[in-house]
Amino acid sequence: MLEVRGLHAEVNGVEILKGVDLSVGVDETHAIMGPNGSGKSTLAYVLAGRPGYEVTAGSVTFDGEDLLALPAEERARRGLFLSFQHPVEIPGVRMDHFLRAGYNELRKSAGEEQLDPLKFDRLIRSKAKAVEMEPTMTKRAVNEGFSGGEKKRNEVLQMAVLEPRLRILDEIDSGLDVDALREVARGITDLSVPGTSTILVTHYDRILSYLEPDHVHVLIDGRIARSGGRALAKEIEERGYDWLEAGAGV
Amino acid sequence: MTQHATVTGSWSEQFRRFEHNGAEISPAWLRDVRRSAFGDFERLGFPTARRGNEPWKYTNIRPIADTSFTLAEHAPDASAGIDYHAYELPCPRVHQLVFVDGHYEPGLSTEPVTEAGLHSDVLGRHGDGPVVGRLADAIEYRVPLVREHLGRLAPAPENAFTALNTAFLHDGAFVQIPDGTFVPEPIYLLFISTGAQAVVTHPRVLIAAGADSSATVLQSFHSLDGGTYLTNALTEVVTAPGANLRLCTLQCESSDAFHIATTRMDQARDSRVASVAVDLGGRLVRREVATLLGASGASVNLCGLYYGAGERHVDNQTFVDHAAPGASSNEVYKGILDDASHGVFAGGVLVRPDSQQTVAHQVNKNLLLSSDAEVDTQPKLEIYADDVTCTHGAAVGQLDADALFYLKSRGIGEDVARNLLVHGFVSEVLNAIEDGAVRQHVEQAVAECLSGSR
Repeated sequence: MLEVRGLHAEVNGVEILKGVDLSVGVDETHAIMGPNGSGKSTLAYVLAGRPGYEVTAGSVTFDGEDLLALPAEERARRGLFLSFQHPVEIPGVRMDHFLRAGYNELRKSAGEEQLDPLKFDRLIRSKAKAVEMEPTMTKRAVNEGFSGGEKKRNEVLQMAVLEPRLRILDEIDSGLDVDALREVARGITDLSVPGTSTILVTHYDRILSYLEPDHVHVLIDGRIARSGGRALAKEIEERGYDWLEAGAGV
Repeated sequence: MTQHATVTGSWSEQFRRFEHNGAEISPAWLRDVRRSAFGDFERLGFPTARRGNEPWKYTNIRPIADTSFTLAEHAPDASAGIDYHAYELPCPRVHQLVFVDGHYEPGLSTEPVTEAGLHSDVLGRHGDGPVVGRLADAIEYRVPLVREHLGRLAPAPENAFTALNTAFLHDGAFVQIPDGTFVPEPIYLLFISTGAQAVVTHPRVLIAAGADSSATVLQSFHSLDGGTYLTNALTEVVTAPGANLRLCTLQCESSDAFHIATTRMDQARDSRVASVAVDLGGRLVRREVATLLGASGASVNLCGLYYGAGERHVDNQTFVDHAAPGASSNEVYKGILDDASHGVFAGGVLVRPDSQQTVAHQVNKNLLLSSDAEVDTQPKLEIYADDVTCTHGAAVGQLDADALFYLKSRGIGEDVARNLLVHGFVSEVLNAIEDGAVRQHVEQAVAECLSGSR
């Protein structure tokens, strides 16, 4: 599904990614772990197409198509979804209006009929219920005044509505207490229909006990220093990142 | 000085002609008021944008001073070609007065006011409906409120445009809400300009809200054609104790037009005014809203939205006079400035020495959509009492890049994303319009204006 080859990227002229290789197949869950500043979030942003993140070398294909040639909105329309570490507050723009606009863009590009406000209202209500979010929240401005947990749950709601095939979850566990974490993780699991792949970007192991990854990669200084199975994450939980950083010559 | 003489000379000629045959109704007192106001104008001349002339520092009205305007003639068939449906409010009932080039259009208005309806014995009767009629009728039928308030709140000697409006006063709207009356349907004052070249109109509105009354008044300015004309509007508002008055102004003049609008209010104890002014058109726009909070418990909420495109210059000036203890004011003005437009906001707040427990908040935010757009914003707070809560803030910025990316990452394209953010920016002001039909009407005008521009 996703093939990343020798990816180099800069932010403000500083090289952050220094040759990342990653291959994500259908129905797979990959965890990208790493210490602060190793380039985890940069990788997530580069894949989602955030302006200011400049790819200087390498390639990324999504279902065989050159992902890097597409603007962010086209990537989303092809089924890629980034769950933000810090979801943006947008005063004055209602959740349901915003999400209907996105949903209809996706339908349009898939050649499907768009939903009018009434039909979309039914959809968003049922999805909100499914992710255990108060439906009245969808009438509020996007993320404005939401708590940390509400913001993350809102990301899950958007996933539920947009039904992406590749989900990149950037620190979905940050700012969540144990109960909120369990609920968010369950929401994500419930949405994992066949054909869906997931990239979990995380500093800590704890989310991985809810969302079992098939593959674990450790990003150190812009490169994948080690790949392995679930056991690698457990080892990091016990030993930290120092031993890997030493091995990577950092 | 030659310039000054020529300009007022052209207006003098107009005034002589107006006094001769233009003034339909002329009780002696009004003739005196007009003549005195014209004298004020001759003495004042037009303000000039120069250093030291603080209120006009950023706004150069030379294009107005340099144009020889003529008063609009009353053309009986003026309204014939107007597609009135474009201006209709989305509600079943409305009290409505329509003026075309400053002249009353009985065919489009719902309120043919009779002498009986305006008779002083009838006025102010508790629980009666509102009086919504021609100012000319109210003058002719000697409504005492008119004599009492007309020109009192907006004295001619203060300002050339106020002076001109009063000098050429002949018609407009008179709105009176009797004591204790709740008016559920909006009162709609529609001013349409045919857009004829170099024509001037001086719409005049007097609104008197009785004690514990409640009403919504919408003033709306539109043009049929894109001429260079001048609208010089003046509104005086007086509220009795406990009145709750919602005022809304929608300005959609032609992009070559000059629009000068002055609103002066005098608020009594515990009265509340919520004003929302939306400027979407015009070439050169100057809007002044001033209120006197003269008794405790009076409160005012002043909101404004201005949109600049092309080379539009739009200047909003507010002034809140806290002249009594325990009054409160809140201001939210937002500007969207595109192309090479220029926005100005100056928010004056005066808290007089004995006005303790004053609460005054003021915010002005501007969104610049083009690198050629400009804005000048300045709070002017003068506080002479010590037990007060006053805040002010101003912001100028572009669309939030993080928000834009967030929207795009959900599949929303650039244009739609920008539009959502711009609408989000203005929604705070539009949501301040309490009447549903008026809000819907204004929202629609804003949406059309913003989508037509990109």
